[in-house]
Amino acid sequence: MTHAAQFRGVSQVFGDFTAVDDIDLTIPDGKLTTLLGPSGCGKTTSLRMLAGYLAPTHGTISIAGVDSTRTPPEKRDLGMVFQSYALFPHMSVAENVGFGLKMRRVPAAERARRVTESLELVGLAHLSASKPKKLSGGQQQRVALARAIAIRPKLLLLDEPLSNLDARLRIQMRAEIRRIQAETGLAVVLVTHDQDEALEMSDEMVLMKDGRIQQQGAPQEVFPAPANRFVAEFLGYENFLTDPGGELTTIRPEHLWLTVGEQAPSASGGSVVSGVVLDLAYRGVDLLVTVAATDASGARVELLADLRAESAPDLTQGTHVWVHVPATHVVPLTGD
Amino acid sequence: MRGRTALLVLPGLAVLLIGFLIPSVAMLFAPPGVSPVEVFDRLGQMLTDPYDQAIVMRTLGLGLIVTVVCIGLGYPIAYLLSRSTSRWAGVLLALAIFPLLLSSVVRTFGWLVVLGSQGAVPQLLLSLGLTDSAPQLLYTPLAIVLGLTQIFLPLAVVASYSALAQVDAGLDEAARGLGANRIRTFWSVVVPLSGPGVVVAATLVFAGAVTAYTTPYLLGGSRQRMLSTQLYTYSSTTIDWAAASATALIMTVLVFAVSGLSGLAARRGATS
Amino acid sequence: MRTRHPIAASLAVLGYIVMLVPILFVVVTAFTAGSTLRFPPEGFSLRWFEAALTYTPFTSSLVSSLILAVISAVLALALGVPVALAIHRGRLPGKALVEGLFLSPLIVPELVVGLALYQQLMVGFGLDNFQTLLFGHTVLMFPYAVRVTGASLALIDPAVEDAARGLGASAGRTFFSITLPLLRPGLFSAALLSFITSFNNVPLSLLLQSRDFRTLPVVMLDYVQQNYDPIVAAISVLILAATVLVAVIAERTVGFARVFGGINR
Repeated sequence: MTHAAQFRGVSQVFGDFTAVDDIDLTIPDGKLTTLLGPSGCGKTTSLRMLAGYLAPTHGTISIAGVDSTRTPPEKRDLGMVFQSYALFPHMSVAENVGFGLKMRRVPAAERARRVTESLELVGLAHLSASKPKKLSGGQQQRVALARAIAIRPKLLLLDEPLSNLDARLRIQMRAEIRRIQAETGLAVVLVTHDQDEALEMSDEMVLMKDGRIQQQGAPQEVFPAPANRFVAEFLGYENFLTDPGGELTTIRPEHLWLTVGEQAPSASGGSVVSGVVLDLAYRGVDLLVTVAATDASGARVELLADLRAESAPDLTQGTHVWVHVPATHVVPLTGD
Repeated sequence: MRGRTALLVLPGLAVLLIGFLIPSVAMLFAPPGVSPVEVFDRLGQMLTDPYDQAIVMRTLGLGLIVTVVCIGLGYPIAYLLSRSTSRWAGVLLALAIFPLLLSSVVRTFGWLVVLGSQGAVPQLLLSLGLTDSAPQLLYTPLAIVLGLTQIFLPLAVVASYSALAQVDAGLDEAARGLGANRIRTFWSVVVPLSGPGVVVAATLVFAGAVTAYTTPYLLGGSRQRMLSTQLYTYSSTTIDWAAASATALIMTVLVFAVSGLSGLAARRGATS
Repeated sequence: MRTRHPIAASLAVLGYIVMLVPILFVVVTAFTAGSTLRFPPEGFSLRWFEAALTYTPFTSSLVSSLILAVISAVLALALGVPVALAIHRGRLPGKALVEGLFLSPLIVPELVVGLALYQQLMVGFGLDNFQTLLFGHTVLMFPYAVRVTGASLALIDPAVEDAARGLGASAGRTFFSITLPLLRPGLFSAALLSFITSFNNVPLSLLLQSRDFRTLPVVMLDYVQQNYDPIVAAISVLILAATVLVAVIAERTVGFARVFGGINR
């Protein structure tokens, strides 16, 4: 397996704050890797170290097998898209996209061809003469992408590229970035705090917290088997309860189901917990029910069940319910 | 990286030190051929001698009057401009800023034309039969107050305007909606929020007024001596370095004391 | 402007009268055919303009003023912009102190600065008056050079400079092809402010004058003190016209209120 980039024992310390704490990370070639986590988890700091804007306090970073820890950004051949897009306001779209090629002394004719090629890839060839200010947010984003791609970088780095777009455009751009990644075959590193974005776009996802990597793997591996409570919470597992064996487990709201009745139902293929409805939130298709219950360790827990509204039992606040916890969906958690 | 940053600062810092910081400190305490003791002796004399005391008091008094007048006229201008939606507001604002660009000699010269014995105001008073002979308006405290007000009013307008422009006009509307009338709204919302900015404006005006030279020189002459005209006389006519330094020291302390107090007041106002 | 604030409006009108009316009187007087500052003027003529433009002390001091203002504005920018860069982009210990030092010429009375430079640099150190004036005027403009270009620098997204680096531009190349062009409005504002400040300065130029090198405002002050004719009104009108021209240039480029009022409307 070839590596597009590799972090070995990398830390970044600002005064008495450790932003990145001794991480080892391998970015696979030709794939889209996301760095995912809440703000302050060290994901952007890691990206900036990879791009060369920050020198690591400790550790080494290699790009395409070459130690690049001390290489300045202009010598790294990486394409970066900034959260603010960072388009040069005094240059036209074509000049923006051609800037990196100009720095590489690519002859004018060749430059023009590659600018057009990059702009066609993002569907903006017709706007090449415009100034960035005249473009919409989505268009500026595409120009920033074209500018990064035009230099044929070793890696494409995207720092929260979709966070400044409205919801509809964001969904559209996810597919667009995937398409561009597939067409160019580039290794892409994308920083985001949005788990849906990471799940939908990644070949590989890296979850971070407090400067450390919590879990890494393909979405299909990570999502069904979160390694610890932090990862589970971040991926939307709402319910945490101790099983009869004393281990902490989690289960997603849509896997719980509720019944009403005097008698405790049989707990085939799982367990049943008794509880009282605290709150109901009607969401059209779904009905979200918060239930106060007691788990096997005797601790009081609040469970969230996500039911199909049309098939849900008749519930009001204070209704006594049985919460069914199917064993097949229970995920055991390790560590903190 | 750090070394390169220092290189950016050093040339400027060298010029700042030679062309300002070192001479300013050296001048206050050690003028050429004069010991620091002489400067402080002269300072002591000035603060006790009635003639010199009168000059300090005149400078202080006129400075305060000019400050009050400039805020009294400048704040309303800034308030009206900041709350106006008229197309003319921009032009009027520009008209208030423009005098800042114009030489103070030119501006003060205007008062010679207006107040001089053959000037517009005395001639008007004469022709209306209000006086028998052209009244002496030049070389009076009034002339200095008018001249300094003209010089520093634009500063008061600009500084008040910046403060008022930051007070969201929506707050006025909210206060009105909650039942406060226009006057109540002005005193309980607009004034407290723009207060710190007005303190800054007043400080700028006061510091300028007690150190200005052109206006007291042209409109006050030798009859209305102020600290600034005294300082020039000591340094260029009588060449009395100790007295010049002592005068400069009084002026500097005055300006720093007022700036310090207003800084304190603004901070107090901002936190309360 | 119609208003529902009669008291404020009256005070405002009074304020505008004090600010502007004396200037109007200067303009009217400059065109008199008589030989005194009498009001109303006696007839119309341009004779005082001719007199002003042929009076050597005025013309030669005008040249001195322009030379001093241009050189010191260029110096202030050349020395001040790197300081602004260090404060806003560099890793500099004690940034606030450095900025405070460069703004400090604003808070010390100019007359005091003038006296200090006269005593220490001219009398004490033996510099000639032009060199001393150059020091004084340059230092006086540092606050504009550092703060105005600094404010303009703070508006430039640092990611734009990072982006240029990432695309292969060296630090120097990034400064000249990205930062400097984006800084142009700030530089222009600082240059205009500096020029005007130097050209109009009285306290420094007065204390640091010599027989060979005096600025126009100082010569005008002297003249007014000794003579009572409309020649100063004429030269004042010429300065007024030039100032209006500067204001128009400022408005056409960066915006008048932004340059001179520090006001973003």
